[in-house]
Amino acid sequence: MIKHKTVRILAIAPLSRGLGYSVMEGPDKLIACGNKAILRHKNVGALTWVKKFVRFYQPEVLVLPDVNATDTRRAARIKTLHRNIVAWAKQQQIKVRLITNTQVRMQLLNNKQGTKQAVAETLAAKFPVELGTRLPPKRRPWMSEDPRMDIFDAVGLAAGYWPKAK
Amino acid sequence: MNRHQVHIIPMKSLPNYLQTQRKRLSLSQEEVGFLLGLAGMNKGNKVCRDEKFAREPSLQDALAYEEIYGLPVSELFAGLYQQAQQNVAARAKILNFRKARKPDVRKQQAIIHLAESASINSSNQ
Repeated sequence: MIKHKTVRILAIAPLSRGLGYSVMEGPDKLIACGNKAILRHKNVGALTWVKKFVRFYQPEVLVLPDVNATDTRRAARIKTLHRNIVAWAKQQQIKVRLITNTQVRMQLLNNKQGTKQAVAETLAAKFPVELGTRLPPKRRPWMSEDPRMDIFDAVGLAAGYWPKAK
Repeated sequence: MNRHQVHIIPMKSLPNYLQTQRKRLSLSQEEVGFLLGLAGMNKGNKVCRDEKFAREPSLQDALAYEEIYGLPVSELFAGLYQQAQQNVAARAKILNFRKARKPDVRKQQAIIHLAESASINSSNQ
């Protein structure tokens, strides 16, 4: 008999404004998602929020972006925060899974070259009730990234965790 | 036994899924508080405490949640339900060991059924 254990995962996307988070209990069950803006002492504040989320949702796996992957360029502060989160999770004996941007794009779009907007639109179509109203308008070259994009980054990471349905 | 049979083991659920369901309907805590018939200025506070697992709602509130969110109480309060199921089943195991004065087949079957569900659930978590 093949045994599959369903797990609850918490995906955290540390970003320049704060962090995005999402909780899933299977590839089609999005429990919670959102973003937290942290204005001062960003790394300390972000780590505090991660601890709060872990305590509240009791995830079995913590999903983080792979900040050291070749397809990623991240600020030194975010790399430090990432290291701190991984170290804390290991201390708490929580499994950590790192997902690269390419993995997320391949999982959702079947295309390595896909854009963030395309990923966000795919996720909004997959979870219309939870994310449909949160989809930001397409970013124009003169615009900054919409803060709501943090949510889609986190949900994309969580969606990238589950193996592709055949 | 079929070797390729896929068996999905359920995880330990959260005590409740009230926040998820409320957000699905895009209701505010204040509005849910009003629907529950809570009185006072801070209707949302009780709902907030329910959602943060700080308070276990009364039976009447739980049934009202079922009506509002359109899901059975056992799904809304999945963690609490699992816990209650395990506790009942553990007690059923104890009851099974007690010797009955008058052997009753129906009673015995019911107790064995409850005790078996305990062993299944505890091995899953």
